Amino acid sequence: MKNGTIISIDKLIKQFPVGKSKFTALNGLTLNIERGEFMGLVGPSGSGKTTLLNIIGSLDTPSMGTVTVLDQSISSLSHKQSSRLRNRHIGFIFQTYNLLPVYTVYENVEFALLLQKLSASARKKAVMDALEWVGLTDKIKSKPAMLSGGECQRVAIARSMVKRPDIVLADEPTANLDSKNSHHILQTMKKLNKELNTTFIFATHDEKVMQYLNRKVSLEDGQIVKDEVIENSKN
Amino acid sequence: MIRFLLKGILRDRSRSLLPVIVVALGVFLTVFMSGWFQGIMGDMIDMTARFSSGHVKIMTRAYAENSDQAPLDLALLDVAELTGQLNEEYPDMEWVSRIRSGGLLDVPDENGETRGQGPAMVTAIDLVSPDSKEVDRLNLSDAIVKGELPDQLGETLISNDFAEKFEVSVGDKVTLFGSTMYGSMMFYTFTVSGTIRFGNTLLDRGAIFIDIKDAQLAMDMEDGATEILGYFKNQPYIDEEAMALATSYNEKYSLEEDEFSPKMIRLAEAAGMADYLAIAENMVSMMVFIFIIAMSIVLWNTGLLGGLRRYSEFGVRLALGEEKKHIYRTTLLEALLIGIIGSTVGTIFGLALSYRLQAHGIDFSGMMDNLGVMMPTVFRAVVTPSMYVVGFIPGVLATVFGSALAGYAIYKRKTARLFHELEV
Repeated sequence: MKNGTIISIDKLIKQFPVGKSKFTALNGLTLNIERGEFMGLVGPSGSGKTTLLNIIGSLDTPSMGTVTVLDQSISSLSHKQSSRLRNRHIGFIFQTYNLLPVYTVYENVEFALLLQKLSASARKKAVMDALEWVGLTDKIKSKPAMLSGGECQRVAIARSMVKRPDIVLADEPTANLDSKNSHHILQTMKKLNKELNTTFIFATHDEKVMQYLNRKVSLEDGQIVKDEVIENSKN
Repeated sequence: MIRFLLKGILRDRSRSLLPVIVVALGVFLTVFMSGWFQGIMGDMIDMTARFSSGHVKIMTRAYAENSDQAPLDLALLDVAELTGQLNEEYPDMEWVSRIRSGGLLDVPDENGETRGQGPAMVTAIDLVSPDSKEVDRLNLSDAIVKGELPDQLGETLISNDFAEKFEVSVGDKVTLFGSTMYGSMMFYTFTVSGTIRFGNTLLDRGAIFIDIKDAQLAMDMEDGATEILGYFKNQPYIDEEAMALATSYNEKYSLEEDEFSPKMIRLAEAAGMADYLAIAENMVSMMVFIFIIAMSIVLWNTGLLGGLRRYSEFGVRLALGEEKKHIYRTTLLEALLIGIIGSTVGTIFGLALSYRLQAHGIDFSGMMDNLGVMMPTVFRAVVTPSMYVVGFIPGVLATVFGSALAGYAIYKRKTARLFHELEV
């Protein structure tokens, strides 16, 4: 792995059984992702974006080829090791926020830290820092039902960032947001990307997201059809 | 994490309220039914002990073999000496002599001719001695319908049903026909001092209570009795102690070669009470078993519904890096908390109602006019130490077991589908 390379994918093939035959979702894909990138996997539905995110996030394993995340080969991880990888190093942001409705904003963000052996004071500091990043320190006692969609997604970002992961995987994070909230969210993530050097990987076909990407990898039928670096992306 | 789970349980009523209600209701029913059932069985045993079997009963070996025929010729003799000996050897017991016999009660008209006759179940007890406890033991004062308790020899209490049937009034004379201990005819005239009714066909059918001295005189049984009943002075019936007492007594005094030697039997051996006692013990166990199975099925389904509702929460937790077994463990921990809360509530309410029914039973006498078994007409519960756990432990176990079955689905979840599942 090159210095600064955080994810290395080599000849990745992912196949799913469909009846007696197999469907190839990713077909010989090779890709390296550097630490601190703000990159997107773009392409139509069925192109393999989410499958690739699953494998990078150690939620799934390759059928063939190798995927190395933070020097750990995804294929060789046990359940415990892959859980630990996600818990310590990878944050997830979903299209539908998936906040826990009975808990407050503070508790939703704190939840990500409960699995780590941190003191209550260390947890509190980390949670308050994360909420400050996303500008929600005034909503710590609110429940998700009392928040707007944009605010919910900002809580989800705080939840994914509170453990200061190396990588954040975001699947269509703006799909449920209006234009103004989408830009706000993307600006927040871009800021965190710069300040904390966190690697952001999006699966998206939203043009608003693409405006902020530094690198855009286009997928089609499980293969990379274009890999472009964007110099003048939005901040 | 426990604090976090507790908050979730308290705030999410659909996660906690239904299971807590289900568990509390089940535990409440188990505790209450256990107390009530034990109370009724206990009262039944107590009533049998007071009226017929004592906690232990001494008869001659021959009488014991034919006791359903009440054969007077096989009765105990030298009862005063025997009772004195028992009082000396077993001071923690109270010993009383009784004669039980059958006969015919004749009601004469103003000319002394028979106006009516009916079968009589004679129970002769120490009725008129001032220090006798038999009147209280048999609750005769409360059973009196007309008249009063006998206060001198020659007086009798007769069944109110019999008195009404033959129009016998208080103060009337009645004659008891029967046989003596030696097989001769026996006629003895009593004055009716009162009529009694227990609300139990078995006791009210021709019951007649006379003093044992009258019976001894009438039946030619000087210093004789058909049975000597023993009661624990300061405690209810305990089978183990009664068994130890009977065994030691029989080893010492009961001789196989002498059919007139005394033999002690305990309450559990008399009148099929062993079966009742076994039923009493088994019924509670069966109730608890059925409760665990039923509650587990209900809570399994509740857990499945809760699991479906919390599908996205579990998904997020998996994505955040929580292990499946950790999620499963926390689900069980939640179930444990719910089980403890529900079981505590159910036990408190079950005990409260049982205490209430221990103090104030429910009177079913109106529905038990023709009851043919010896049991009380007021049903009471009894609170025993076992009731603190009889519902509590099964309540907690059923909750955890139900959740364990429902939560097993967590292990079947494929993390590879999390993105799809969480974005629906």
